[in-house]
Amino acid sequence: MTPARVLVLVTAIVALATTQGLGAATATSNVTVSVTVAATAKLALSSSTVTFANADPDTSPSITATEGAITITAKGKTSTGASIALTILAADDLKSGTDTIAIANVTWTASGTGFAAGTMNKTTAQTVGSWTSSGSRTGTQSYALANSWNYPTGSYTSTATYTLTAP
Amino acid sequence: MPPMSITGYNALVLAGFVSALSLMLAPAATAQTLTLTIAPSTITFISADPDTTPSIAAPSITVSYRVRNNASGSWQISLLASGDLTAGSATIPITNVTWTASPTPPFQAGTLSRTLALALASGTGNVQNTTTGTVVFRLANSWTYNVGNYSTSVVFTLTAP
Repeated sequence: MTPARVLVLVTAIVALATTQGLGAATATSNVTVSVTVAATAKLALSSSTVTFANADPDTSPSITATEGAITITAKGKTSTGASIALTILAADDLKSGTDTIAIANVTWTASGTGFAAGTMNKTTAQTVGSWTSSGSRTGTQSYALANSWNYPTGSYTSTATYTLTAP
Repeated sequence: MPPMSITGYNALVLAGFVSALSLMLAPAATAQTLTLTIAPSTITFISADPDTTPSIAAPSITVSYRVRNNASGSWQISLLASGDLTAGSATIPITNVTWTASPTPPFQAGTLSRTLALALASGTGNVQNTTTGTVVFRLANSWTYNVGNYSTSVVFTLTAP
């Protein structure tokens, strides 16, 4: 290539390079978005009392609670794959003065995914429900008292504590 | 000095030189000048009870922008998420994040996407002075979110086509 041709070529390239194109102009900026999800547990019961009416043990060997089924809503946030547990622990046997009815005579059936039937216990917390990972779960628990001619007359009471754990 | 003569070849070389020179001397076409600033550059949604706080608002973001040399063209500020909110293997779909913005117009509300750049603001012509808008992002809260520190990034892009 002659010097003249090189000069023309270089000049043309420089000229084109100094002419701005008309393509789209853009400006960008980034924002980092963060979310902190903390462990949380929330429990709701449709009734805070369970009452068993007096009944003939022969005709009613099992007395269902007057309140009917209790609706339980257990909500919890936990780590992926971690367990959420709902347990119940009776404070004591049913007592009326010095008379007692063993709390193990109180049982329950359950409905709803993750909810389980069980028997009340005053020393070891019993599982009412268990689930994996976060979520809101709703089920029912229906209490029954095994009736007996052996129970002394009286108005018996006890308390039980539900514990929902979302580690 | 011998008389100058321009041969056919030399005429071609000269014509090329003159053409190139004219390109150099011609006024350069002026591209749009765009300025975009976002503050703060990090926002955090604080964990809250989904029953009492179904929508978690993050601190507001100020968008500052300026568009010049765009006399008759349109401009747009768009948003695109780089992905879902992730914390290890746990994810929160980015579509659970919405935004409101003011003033309207040119700003508008929307829902974040990780596949489509969506308009946050748009207009026509120049914005001679730096102008600001406010954006508030909100996360739809849920009991289904697993515990973790989630993050992603959102790209704000100002374009003048």
